[in-house]
Amino acid sequence: MKEIFKSIKRTPYQSLAGFLVLFFSFFLSLIILFSLSLANGILNYLETKPQVTVYFQPKTPENQIFKIRDELSQSGKTLSIKYISQKEAFEIYKNLNKDNPLLLEMISSDIFPPSLEIFAKKPYFLPEIAEYLKKQPDIDEVQFQKDIVDKLLTFTNVLRKISFIFFGYLIIMSIIVLTTTISFKIALKKDEIELLRLLGATNSYIRKPFLKESLFMGFIASIFSFLILLGLIFYLNPFLKYYFFEISEISFDFNFIKIIIWPFNFLFISLIFLFVLFFSCFISIVSTYLATNKYLKV
Amino acid sequence: MIIFDKVTKKFPLGNFGLNEISFEINDNEFVFLVGPSGAGKTTIIKLIIKETNISSGSIIIDNEDISSSNYKNKAQLRQKIGVIFQDFKILYEKNIFENIALACQIKNFSYSATKEKVKKALEMVGLLEKEKVFPIQLSAGELQRVAIARAIVDDRKYLLADEPTGNLDPKTSWEIMKIFKKLENKKTIIIATHNNDIVNSFQKRVITLKNGKIIKDKRKGGYEI
Repeated sequence: MKEIFKSIKRTPYQSLAGFLVLFFSFFLSLIILFSLSLANGILNYLETKPQVTVYFQPKTPENQIFKIRDELSQSGKTLSIKYISQKEAFEIYKNLNKDNPLLLEMISSDIFPPSLEIFAKKPYFLPEIAEYLKKQPDIDEVQFQKDIVDKLLTFTNVLRKISFIFFGYLIIMSIIVLTTTISFKIALKKDEIELLRLLGATNSYIRKPFLKESLFMGFIASIFSFLILLGLIFYLNPFLKYYFFEISEISFDFNFIKIIIWPFNFLFISLIFLFVLFFSCFISIVSTYLATNKYLKV
Repeated sequence: MIIFDKVTKKFPLGNFGLNEISFEINDNEFVFLVGPSGAGKTTIIKLIIKETNISSGSIIIDNEDISSSNYKNKAQLRQKIGVIFQDFKILYEKNIFENIALACQIKNFSYSATKEKVKKALEMVGLLEKEKVFPIQLSAGELQRVAIARAIVDDRKYLLADEPTGNLDPKTSWEIMKIFKKLENKKTIIIATHNNDIVNSFQKRVITLKNGKIIKDKRKGGYEI
Protein backbone atom coordinates (compact mmCIF):
# COMPACT_ATOMS: atom_id res chain seq x y z
CA MET A 1 0.00 0.00 0.00
CA LYS A 2 2.86 2.34 0.91
CA GLU A 3 4.39 1.80 -2.54
CA ILE A 4 1.05 2.44 -4.25
CA PHE A 5 0.51 5.77 -2.47
CA LYS A 6 4.12 6.74 -3.15
CA SER A 7 3.66 6.08 -6.85
CA ILE A 8 0.36 8.01 -6.96
CA LYS A 9 2.04 10.94 -5.19
CA ARG A 10 4.87 10.94 -7.72
CA THR A 11 2.46 11.24 -10.66
CA PRO A 12 -0.70 12.84 -9.26
CA TYR A 13 -2.12 14.18 -12.55
CA GLN A 14 -1.66 10.95 -14.47
CA SER A 15 -3.18 9.03 -11.58
CA LEU A 16 -6.14 11.41 -11.41
CA ALA A 17 -6.70 11.18 -15.18
CA GLY A 18 -6.64 7.37 -14.96
CA PHE A 19 -8.99 7.38 -12.00
CA LEU A 20 -11.50 9.75 -13.63
CA VAL A 21 -11.62 7.74 -16.85
CA LEU A 22 -12.11 4.50 -14.92
CA PHE A 23 -14.80 6.10 -12.79
CA PHE A 24 -16.61 7.44 -15.89
CA SER A 25 -16.45 4.05 -17.61
CA PHE A 26 -17.59 2.09 -14.57
CA PHE A 27 -20.43 4.47 -13.77
CA LEU A 28 -21.76 4.40 -17.34
CA SER A 29 -21.39 0.63 -17.45
CA LEU A 30 -23.38 0.34 -14.24
CA ILE A 31 -26.14 2.58 -15.58
CA ILE A 32 -26.31 0.48 -18.75
CA LEU A 33 -26.32 -2.77 -16.81
CA PHE A 34 -28.98 -1.47 -14.46
CA SER A 35 -31.24 -0.26 -17.30
CA LEU A 36 -30.74 -3.47 -19.25
CA SER A 37 -31.60 -5.61 -16.23
CA LEU A 38 -34.72 -3.56 -15.52
CA ALA A 39 -35.87 -3.68 -19.17
CA ASN A 40 -35.32 -7.43 -19.32
CA GLY A 41 -37.14 -7.85 -16.04
CA ILE A 42 -40.14 -5.86 -17.26
CA LEU A 43 -40.20 -7.88 -20.45
CA ASN A 44 -40.13 -11.08 -18.44
CA TYR A 45 -42.93 -9.75 -16.27
CA LEU A 46 -45.08 -9.03 -19.31
CA GLU A 47 -44.34 -12.48 -20.65
CA THR A 48 -45.88 -13.97 -17.53
CA LYS A 49 -49.17 -12.12 -18.08
CA PRO A 50 -51.98 -13.51 -20.28
CA GLN A 51 -50.78 -12.54 -23.63
CA VAL A 52 -53.52 -13.44 -26.08
CA THR A 53 -57.14 -13.63 -25.07
CA VAL A 54 -59.52 -14.98 -27.67
CA TYR A 55 -63.29 -14.56 -27.20
CA PHE A 56 -65.63 -16.96 -28.99
CA GLN A 57 -69.25 -16.46 -30.01
CA PRO A 58 -71.45 -17.36 -26.99
CA LYS A 59 -72.98 -20.30 -28.85
CA THR A 60 -69.71 -21.86 -29.92
CA PRO A 61 -69.62 -25.54 -28.98
CA GLU A 62 -66.95 -26.47 -26.41
CA ASN A 63 -65.45 -29.19 -28.63
CA GLN A 64 -64.77 -26.54 -31.29
CA ILE A 65 -62.91 -24.43 -28.68
CA PHE A 66 -61.00 -27.45 -27.38
CA LYS A 67 -59.97 -28.35 -30.92
CA ILE A 68 -58.38 -24.89 -31.35
CA ARG A 69 -56.80 -25.15 -27.90
CA ASP A 70 -55.24 -28.54 -28.74
CA GLU A 71 -53.94 -27.32 -32.10
CA LEU A 72 -52.29 -24.34 -30.40
CA SER A 73 -50.78 -26.56 -27.69
CA GLN A 74 -49.24 -28.78 -30.34
CA SER A 75 -47.70 -25.80 -32.18
CA GLY A 76 -44.92 -25.54 -29.54
CA LYS A 77 -45.39 -21.80 -29.31
CA THR A 78 -47.47 -21.72 -26.14
CA LEU A 79 -46.55 -22.13 -22.50
CA SER A 80 -50.11 -22.80 -21.34
CA ILE A 81 -53.66 -22.22 -22.41
CA LYS A 82 -56.48 -21.60 -19.97
CA TYR A 83 -60.12 -22.19 -20.98
CA ILE A 84 -62.68 -19.90 -19.36
CA SER A 85 -66.23 -21.13 -19.86
CA GLN A 86 -69.32 -18.91 -19.93
CA LYS A 87 -70.10 -19.87 -16.33
CA GLU A 88 -66.56 -19.07 -15.16
CA ALA A 89 -66.68 -15.74 -17.02
CA PHE A 90 -69.99 -14.96 -15.28
CA GLU A 91 -68.40 -15.83 -11.91
CA ILE A 92 -65.49 -13.52 -12.62
CA TYR A 93 -67.95 -10.77 -13.60
CA LYS A 94 -69.95 -11.31 -10.41
CA ASN A 95 -66.83 -11.23 -8.33
CA LEU A 96 -65.65 -8.01 -9.91
CA ASN A 97 -69.03 -6.31 -9.39
CA LYS A 98 -70.08 -7.78 -6.08
CA ASP A 99 -70.41 -4.29 -4.60
CA ASN A 100 -72.80 -3.17 -7.32
CA PRO A 101 -75.96 -5.37 -7.34
CA LEU A 102 -77.53 -3.28 -10.07
CA LEU A 103 -75.00 -4.51 -12.55
CA LEU A 104 -75.72 -8.11 -11.63
CA GLU A 105 -79.49 -7.94 -12.12
CA MET A 106 -80.99 -9.39 -15.28
CA ILE A 107 -77.70 -10.94 -16.33
CA SER A 108 -77.10 -14.59 -16.89
CA SER A 109 -74.04 -16.56 -17.96
CA ASP A 110 -75.46 -16.93 -21.52
CA ILE A 111 -74.34 -13.48 -22.57
CA PHE A 112 -70.70 -14.05 -21.61
CA PRO A 113 -68.44 -15.40 -24.31
CA PRO A 114 -66.24 -18.41 -23.60
CA SER A 115 -62.58 -17.58 -24.01
CA LEU A 116 -59.04 -18.91 -24.07
CA GLU A 117 -56.17 -17.15 -22.26
CA ILE A 118 -53.00 -18.09 -24.10
CA PHE A 119 -49.48 -17.67 -22.67
CA ALA A 120 -46.84 -17.64 -25.42
CA LYS A 121 -43.33 -19.01 -24.93
CA LYS A 122 -41.76 -15.93 -26.51
CA PRO A 123 -43.32 -12.50 -27.20
CA TYR A 124 -42.54 -12.76 -30.92
CA PHE A 125 -44.96 -15.73 -31.20
CA LEU A 126 -47.83 -13.44 -30.25
CA PRO A 127 -48.66 -12.03 -33.70
CA GLU A 128 -48.50 -15.55 -35.23
CA ILE A 129 -50.89 -16.92 -32.61
CA ALA A 130 -53.24 -13.95 -33.05
CA GLU A 131 -53.25 -14.37 -36.85
CA TYR A 132 -53.97 -18.07 -36.52
CA LEU A 133 -56.90 -17.40 -34.17
CA LYS A 134 -58.43 -14.73 -36.40
CA LYS A 135 -58.72 -17.29 -39.21
CA GLN A 136 -60.69 -19.73 -37.05
CA PRO A 137 -64.53 -19.92 -37.18
CA ASP A 138 -66.78 -18.57 -34.38
CA ILE A 139 -64.17 -16.09 -33.15
CA ASP A 140 -65.63 -12.90 -31.73
CA GLU A 141 -62.47 -10.99 -30.77
CA VAL A 142 -58.74 -11.53 -30.38
CA GLN A 143 -56.98 -9.29 -27.83
CA PHE A 144 -53.25 -9.17 -27.14
CA GLN A 145 -50.80 -6.64 -25.76
CA LYS A 146 -49.06 -6.35 -29.07
CA ASP A 147 -48.10 -2.71 -28.87
CA ILE A 148 -46.59 -2.83 -25.41
CA VAL A 149 -44.72 -6.06 -25.99
CA ASP A 150 -43.54 -4.92 -29.44
CA LYS A 151 -42.29 -1.62 -28.10
CA LEU A 152 -40.56 -3.24 -25.16
CA LEU A 153 -39.02 -5.88 -27.39
CA THR A 154 -37.72 -3.24 -29.78
CA PHE A 155 -36.50 -1.11 -26.88
CA THR A 156 -34.74 -4.05 -25.22
CA ASN A 157 -33.13 -5.14 -28.48
CA VAL A 158 -31.94 -1.62 -29.27
CA LEU A 159 -30.71 -1.17 -25.71
CA ARG A 160 -28.87 -4.48 -25.88
CA LYS A 161 -27.17 -3.58 -29.17
CA ILE A 162 -26.26 -0.06 -28.03
CA SER A 163 -25.01 -1.49 -24.75
CA PHE A 164 -22.68 -3.91 -26.51
CA ILE A 165 -21.26 -1.16 -28.70
CA PHE A 166 -20.99 1.20 -25.75
CA PHE A 167 -19.41 -1.44 -23.51
CA GLY A 168 -16.86 -2.13 -26.23
CA TYR A 169 -16.15 1.57 -26.59
CA LEU A 170 -15.80 2.04 -22.82
CA ILE A 171 -13.50 -0.95 -22.48
CA ILE A 172 -11.24 0.22 -25.33
CA MET A 173 -11.20 3.82 -24.07
CA SER A 174 -10.43 2.78 -20.49
CA ILE A 175 -7.69 0.40 -21.56
CA ILE A 176 -6.04 3.02 -23.79
CA VAL A 177 -6.10 5.73 -21.12
CA LEU A 178 -4.97 3.42 -18.33
CA THR A 179 -2.24 1.94 -20.55
CA THR A 180 -1.01 5.47 -21.32
CA THR A 181 -1.09 6.38 -17.62
CA ILE A 182 0.88 3.28 -16.66
CA SER A 183 3.32 3.91 -19.53
CA PHE A 184 4.02 7.37 -18.06
CA LYS A 185 4.74 5.78 -14.72
CA ILE A 186 6.92 3.13 -16.33
CA ALA A 187 8.89 5.81 -18.17
CA LEU A 188 9.62 7.41 -14.80
CA LYS A 189 10.78 4.06 -13.46
CA LYS A 190 12.71 3.02 -16.57
CA ASP A 191 16.05 2.89 -14.75
CA GLU A 192 14.61 0.82 -11.94
CA ILE A 193 13.03 -1.63 -14.38
CA GLU A 194 16.30 -1.94 -16.31
CA LEU A 195 18.18 -2.59 -13.07
CA LEU A 196 15.62 -5.11 -11.86
CA ARG A 197 15.92 -6.97 -15.14
CA LEU A 198 19.70 -7.06 -14.84
CA LEU A 199 19.41 -8.36 -11.29
CA GLY A 200 17.24 -11.22 -12.55
CA ALA A 201 13.73 -10.05 -11.76
CA THR A 202 11.04 -12.03 -13.54
CA ASN A 203 8.50 -10.27 -15.73
CA SER A 204 5.77 -10.91 -13.20
CA TYR A 205 7.88 -9.35 -10.44
CA ILE A 206 8.35 -6.19 -12.51
CA ARG A 207 4.67 -6.07 -13.44
CA LYS A 208 3.44 -6.59 -9.88
CA PRO A 209 3.71 -3.00 -8.54
CA PHE A 210 2.06 -1.55 -11.65
CA LEU A 211 -0.66 -4.17 -11.52
CA LYS A 212 -1.25 -3.50 -7.83
CA GLU A 213 -1.56 0.22 -8.47
CA SER A 214 -3.97 -0.11 -11.39
CA LEU A 215 -6.05 -2.66 -9.46
CA PHE A 216 -6.15 -0.23 -6.55
CA MET A 217 -7.26 2.63 -8.81
CA GLY A 218 -9.84 0.37 -10.46
CA PHE A 219 -11.12 -0.72 -7.06
CA ILE A 220 -11.50 2.85 -5.80
CA ALA A 221 -13.17 3.94 -9.07
CA SER A 222 -15.57 0.99 -8.92
CA ILE A 223 -16.44 1.76 -5.26
CA PHE A 224 -17.16 5.41 -6.13
CA SER A 225 -19.28 4.56 -9.18
CA PHE A 226 -21.15 1.88 -7.24
CA LEU A 227 -21.89 4.26 -4.34
CA ILE A 228 -23.24 6.89 -6.72
CA LEU A 229 -25.44 4.30 -8.42
CA LEU A 230 -26.64 3.16 -5.00
CA GLY A 231 -27.57 6.76 -4.17
CA LEU A 232 -29.40 7.00 -7.48
CA ILE A 233 -31.31 3.79 -6.75
CA PHE A 234 -32.40 5.10 -3.35
CA TYR A 235 -33.41 8.40 -4.93
CA LEU A 236 -35.44 6.69 -7.69
CA ASN A 237 -37.02 4.12 -5.40
CA PRO A 238 -40.14 6.19 -4.45
CA PHE A 239 -40.78 7.08 -8.12
CA LEU A 240 -40.41 3.48 -9.22
CA LYS A 241 -42.68 2.36 -6.41
CA TYR A 242 -45.33 4.70 -7.80
CA TYR A 243 -44.94 3.43 -11.38
CA PHE A 244 -44.66 -0.25 -10.46
CA PHE A 245 -47.36 -0.24 -7.77
CA GLU A 246 -49.25 -3.07 -9.51
CA ILE A 247 -46.11 -5.18 -9.96
CA SER A 248 -45.09 -7.24 -7.00
CA GLU A 249 -41.87 -8.56 -8.53
CA ILE A 250 -39.65 -8.01 -11.57
CA SER A 251 -37.08 -10.67 -12.23
CA PHE A 252 -35.11 -12.42 -14.95
CA ASP A 253 -33.52 -15.80 -15.26
CA PHE A 254 -29.75 -15.94 -15.49
CA ASN A 255 -28.52 -19.47 -16.20
CA PHE A 256 -31.59 -20.95 -14.47
CA ILE A 257 -31.06 -18.70 -11.44
CA LYS A 258 -33.92 -16.33 -10.80
CA ILE A 259 -32.62 -12.85 -10.06
CA ILE A 260 -35.15 -10.48 -8.54
CA ILE A 261 -34.62 -6.89 -9.62
CA TRP A 262 -37.69 -5.23 -8.19
CA PRO A 263 -38.16 -4.60 -5.34
CA PHE A 264 -34.44 -3.74 -5.12
CA ASN A 265 -32.71 -6.25 -2.93
CA PHE A 266 -29.31 -7.17 -1.51
CA LEU A 267 -28.59 -9.95 -4.04
CA PHE A 268 -29.23 -7.77 -7.08
CA ILE A 269 -27.17 -4.89 -5.67
CA SER A 270 -24.37 -7.30 -4.71
CA LEU A 271 -24.35 -8.73 -8.24
CA ILE A 272 -24.04 -5.23 -9.68
CA PHE A 273 -21.10 -4.57 -7.36
CA LEU A 274 -19.45 -7.86 -8.37
CA PHE A 275 -19.91 -6.93 -12.02
CA VAL A 276 -18.16 -3.58 -11.62
CA LEU A 277 -15.35 -5.21 -9.61
CA PHE A 278 -14.83 -7.83 -12.29
CA PHE A 279 -14.91 -5.14 -14.98
CA SER A 280 -12.30 -3.06 -13.12
CA CYS A 281 -10.02 -6.09 -12.61
CA PHE A 282 -10.25 -6.98 -16.30
CA ILE A 283 -9.36 -3.46 -17.44
CA SER A 284 -6.53 -3.11 -14.90
CA ILE A 285 -4.94 -6.43 -15.80
CA VAL A 286 -5.13 -5.91 -19.57
CA SER A 287 -3.81 -2.32 -19.36
CA THR A 288 -0.91 -3.26 -17.09
CA TYR A 289 0.00 -6.16 -19.32
CA LEU A 290 -0.03 -3.98 -22.46
CA ALA A 291 1.92 -1.12 -20.85
CA THR A 292 4.62 -3.27 -19.27
CA ASN A 293 4.98 -5.66 -22.16
CA LYS A 294 7.10 -3.44 -24.37
CA TYR A 295 9.53 -2.67 -21.51
CA LEU A 296 10.06 -6.32 -20.73
CA LYS A 297 11.41 -7.30 -24.12
CA VAL A 298 15.17 -7.52 -24.49
CA MET B 1 31.88 -22.76 -15.15
CA ILE B 2 31.62 -20.47 -18.16
CA ILE B 3 32.50 -21.80 -21.61
CA PHE B 4 32.69 -19.64 -24.73
CA ASP B 5 33.04 -21.79 -27.84
CA LYS B 6 33.82 -20.00 -31.11
CA VAL B 7 31.56 -17.13 -30.13
CA THR B 8 30.95 -14.45 -32.72
CA LYS B 9 28.97 -11.30 -32.14
CA LYS B 10 28.24 -9.31 -35.23
CA PHE B 11 26.57 -5.92 -34.88
CA PRO B 12 23.80 -4.79 -37.23
CA LEU B 13 26.20 -2.59 -39.25
CA GLY B 14 28.35 -5.61 -39.96
CA ASN B 15 31.28 -4.90 -37.61
CA PHE B 16 32.39 -7.63 -35.22
CA GLY B 17 32.09 -7.23 -31.47
CA LEU B 18 33.63 -10.67 -31.02
CA ASN B 19 35.09 -12.89 -33.67
CA GLU B 20 35.16 -16.64 -32.99
CA ILE B 21 36.54 -16.43 -29.47
CA SER B 22 36.83 -19.45 -27.20
CA PHE B 23 37.76 -19.68 -23.52
CA GLU B 24 36.76 -21.40 -20.31
CA ILE B 25 36.51 -19.84 -16.87
CA ASN B 26 36.45 -22.24 -13.93
CA ASP B 27 34.44 -21.83 -10.75
CA ASN B 28 35.99 -19.37 -8.24
CA GLU B 29 38.51 -18.20 -10.83
CA PHE B 30 39.59 -14.53 -10.90
CA VAL B 31 39.89 -13.20 -14.45
CA PHE B 32 40.70 -9.81 -15.91
CA LEU B 33 39.46 -8.90 -19.37
CA VAL B 34 41.74 -6.26 -20.83
CA GLY B 35 42.07 -4.56 -24.14
CA PRO B 36 41.53 -1.21 -25.81
CA SER B 37 38.09 0.36 -26.16
CA GLY B 38 35.95 -1.60 -28.61
CA ALA B 39 37.99 -4.78 -28.11
CA GLY B 40 34.92 -6.72 -26.91
CA LYS B 41 35.25 -6.72 -23.09
CA THR B 42 31.80 -5.29 -22.40
CA THR B 43 30.31 -7.50 -25.12
CA ILE B 44 31.54 -10.58 -23.25
CA ILE B 45 29.89 -9.36 -20.05
CA LYS B 46 26.67 -8.54 -21.90
CA LEU B 47 26.65 -11.99 -23.49
CA ILE B 48 27.13 -13.70 -20.12
CA ILE B 49 24.16 -11.89 -18.60
CA LYS B 50 22.19 -12.44 -21.81
CA GLU B 51 21.67 -8.75 -22.42
CA THR B 52 22.54 -9.39 -26.03
CA ASN B 53 22.60 -12.50 -28.23
CA ILE B 54 25.47 -14.14 -30.04
CA SER B 55 25.59 -14.40 -33.83
CA SER B 56 27.25 -17.83 -33.84
CA GLY B 57 29.05 -20.27 -31.56
CA SER B 58 27.86 -21.27 -28.11
CA ILE B 59 27.99 -20.12 -24.51
CA ILE B 60 27.57 -22.64 -21.72
CA ILE B 61 27.16 -21.57 -18.11
CA ASP B 62 26.94 -24.25 -15.42
CA ASN B 63 26.31 -26.92 -18.07
CA GLU B 64 23.41 -24.96 -19.54
CA ASP B 65 23.56 -23.71 -23.09
CA ILE B 66 22.37 -20.10 -23.08
CA SER B 67 23.20 -19.43 -26.75
CA SER B 68 19.68 -19.47 -28.14
CA SER B 69 18.07 -16.09 -28.72
CA ASN B 70 14.86 -17.63 -27.35
CA TYR B 71 16.56 -18.72 -24.13
CA LYS B 72 13.80 -18.83 -21.54
CA ASN B 73 15.59 -18.92 -18.17
CA LYS B 74 17.09 -15.44 -18.45
CA ALA B 75 15.81 -14.32 -15.03
CA GLN B 76 17.14 -17.45 -13.31
CA LEU B 77 20.50 -17.05 -15.07
CA ARG B 78 20.81 -13.41 -14.00
CA GLN B 79 19.95 -14.32 -10.42
CA LYS B 80 23.25 -16.23 -10.33
CA ILE B 81 25.27 -13.25 -11.54
CA GLY B 82 26.09 -10.03 -9.74
CA VAL B 83 27.02 -7.23 -12.11
CA ILE B 84 28.89 -4.02 -11.33
CA PHE B 85 28.87 -1.20 -13.84
CA GLN B 86 31.07 1.80 -14.43
CA ASP B 87 28.05 4.10 -13.94
CA PHE B 88 27.02 2.25 -10.73
CA LYS B 89 23.32 1.94 -11.75
CA ILE B 90 22.11 3.13 -8.36
CA LEU B 91 18.50 4.28 -7.83
CA TYR B 92 18.63 7.78 -6.39
CA GLU B 93 15.12 7.84 -4.91
CA LYS B 94 15.89 4.80 -2.75
CA ASN B 95 18.22 4.81 0.22
CA ILE B 96 21.31 2.57 0.41
CA PHE B 97 19.52 -0.20 2.27
CA GLU B 98 16.70 -0.24 -0.31
CA ASN B 99 19.15 -0.23 -3.21
CA ILE B 100 21.01 -3.24 -1.91
CA ALA B 101 17.84 -5.02 -0.76
CA LEU B 102 16.51 -5.05 -4.36
CA ALA B 103 18.64 -8.08 -5.16
CA CYS B 104 17.15 -9.97 -2.20
CA GLN B 105 13.59 -8.83 -2.88
CA ILE B 106 13.51 -10.30 -6.35
CA LYS B 107 14.42 -13.64 -4.79
CA ASN B 108 11.55 -13.22 -2.32
CA PHE B 109 13.72 -13.28 0.79
CA SER B 110 11.91 -12.37 3.99
CA TYR B 111 12.45 -8.90 5.41
CA SER B 112 14.51 -10.19 8.33
CA ALA B 113 16.71 -12.30 6.04
CA THR B 114 17.13 -9.34 3.69
CA LYS B 115 18.07 -7.06 6.57
CA GLU B 116 20.67 -9.48 7.82
CA LYS B 117 22.18 -10.01 4.36
CA VAL B 118 22.27 -6.28 3.58
CA LYS B 119 24.09 -5.61 6.87
CA LYS B 120 26.64 -8.29 6.06
CA ALA B 121 27.21 -6.88 2.57
CA LEU B 122 27.52 -3.32 3.90
CA GLU B 123 30.03 -4.52 6.45
CA MET B 124 32.01 -6.22 3.69
CA VAL B 125 32.23 -2.99 1.67
CA GLY B 126 32.75 -0.78 4.72
CA LEU B 127 29.50 1.19 4.59
CA LEU B 128 27.66 -0.23 7.57
CA GLU B 129 26.84 3.16 9.04
CA LYS B 130 25.35 4.47 5.79
CA GLU B 131 22.39 2.18 5.25
CA LYS B 132 19.79 4.94 5.75
CA VAL B 133 21.66 7.48 3.63
CA PHE B 134 20.51 8.41 0.13
CA PRO B 135 22.90 7.99 -2.85
CA ILE B 136 23.08 11.73 -3.48
CA GLN B 137 24.97 12.04 -0.19
CA LEU B 138 27.68 9.56 -1.20
CA SER B 139 30.92 9.92 -3.15
CA ALA B 140 31.59 8.01 -6.39
CA GLY B 141 33.76 5.49 -4.55
CA GLU B 142 31.04 4.90 -1.99
CA LEU B 143 28.45 4.48 -4.72
CA GLN B 144 30.62 1.83 -6.34
CA ARG B 145 30.85 0.06 -2.98
CA VAL B 146 27.06 0.11 -2.81
CA ALA B 147 26.95 -1.46 -6.27
CA ILE B 148 29.36 -4.17 -5.10
CA ALA B 149 27.28 -4.76 -1.98
CA ARG B 150 24.20 -5.17 -4.16
CA ALA B 151 26.05 -7.65 -6.38
CA ILE B 152 27.21 -9.83 -3.49
CA VAL B 153 24.35 -9.46 -1.02
CA ASP B 154 22.49 -12.63 -1.99
CA ASP B 155 25.53 -14.86 -2.51
CA ARG B 156 25.57 -14.89 -6.29
CA LYS B 157 27.99 -17.35 -7.80
CA TYR B 158 29.43 -15.01 -10.43
CA LEU B 159 30.59 -11.45 -10.08
CA LEU B 160 31.06 -9.45 -13.28
CA ALA B 161 32.45 -5.95 -13.20
CA ASP B 162 32.57 -3.70 -16.23
CA GLU B 163 35.20 -1.00 -15.67
CA PRO B 164 34.45 -0.81 -11.93
CA THR B 165 37.17 1.76 -11.35
CA GLY B 166 36.63 3.68 -14.57
CA ASN B 167 35.10 6.70 -12.82
CA LEU B 168 37.26 6.62 -9.72
CA ASP B 169 40.53 8.22 -8.65
CA PRO B 170 43.53 5.87 -8.13
CA LYS B 171 43.21 5.75 -4.33
CA THR B 172 39.51 4.90 -4.42
CA SER B 173 40.14 2.42 -7.22
CA TRP B 174 42.54 0.51 -4.98
CA GLU B 175 40.00 0.51 -2.15
CA ILE B 176 37.42 -0.97 -4.50
CA MET B 177 39.86 -3.57 -5.74
CA LYS B 178 40.62 -4.57 -2.13
CA ILE B 179 36.97 -5.58 -1.83
CA PHE B 180 37.32 -7.81 -4.90
CA LYS B 181 40.44 -9.27 -3.34
CA LYS B 182 38.43 -10.21 -0.24
CA LEU B 183 35.97 -12.09 -2.47
CA GLU B 184 38.72 -14.06 -4.20
CA ASN B 185 38.19 -17.85 -4.16
CA LYS B 186 34.62 -17.37 -2.95
CA LYS B 187 33.13 -16.41 -6.32
CA THR B 188 33.97 -16.49 -9.98
CA ILE B 189 35.09 -12.92 -10.64
CA ILE B 190 35.43 -11.39 -14.09
CA ILE B 191 36.63 -7.80 -14.28
CA ALA B 192 36.82 -5.83 -17.49
CA THR B 193 39.29 -2.99 -16.98
CA HIS B 194 41.76 -0.55 -18.48
CA ASN B 195 43.66 -0.11 -15.25
CA ASN B 196 47.09 -1.64 -15.89
CA ASP B 197 48.42 -1.01 -12.34
CA ILE B 198 45.64 -3.04 -10.82
CA VAL B 199 45.93 -5.88 -13.36
CA ASN B 200 49.69 -6.05 -12.91
CA SER B 201 49.55 -6.09 -9.14
CA PHE B 202 46.89 -8.80 -8.85
CA GLN B 203 48.84 -11.36 -10.91
CA LYS B 204 45.69 -13.21 -11.93
CA ARG B 205 44.50 -14.69 -15.18
CA VAL B 206 44.34 -12.05 -17.90
CA ILE B 207 42.46 -12.44 -21.17
CA THR B 208 43.62 -9.79 -23.60
CA LEU B 209 41.28 -8.82 -26.43
CA LYS B 210 41.83 -6.81 -29.55
CA ASN B 211 39.33 -6.17 -32.36
CA GLY B 212 37.04 -8.86 -31.00
CA LYS B 213 39.71 -11.55 -30.84
CA ILE B 214 41.66 -13.04 -27.95
CA ILE B 215 45.29 -12.20 -28.47
CA LYS B 216 46.59 -13.50 -25.12
CA ASP B 217 45.25 -15.66 -22.32
CA LYS B 218 47.78 -15.91 -19.47
CA ARG B 219 47.18 -17.72 -16.15
CA LYS B 220 49.26 -15.20 -14.17
CA GLY B 221 49.50 -12.30 -16.46
CA GLY B 222 49.82 -8.58 -16.55
CA TYR B 223 48.47 -5.76 -18.64
CA GLU B 224 50.01 -6.13 -22.08
CA ILE B 225 48.47 -4.97 -25.29
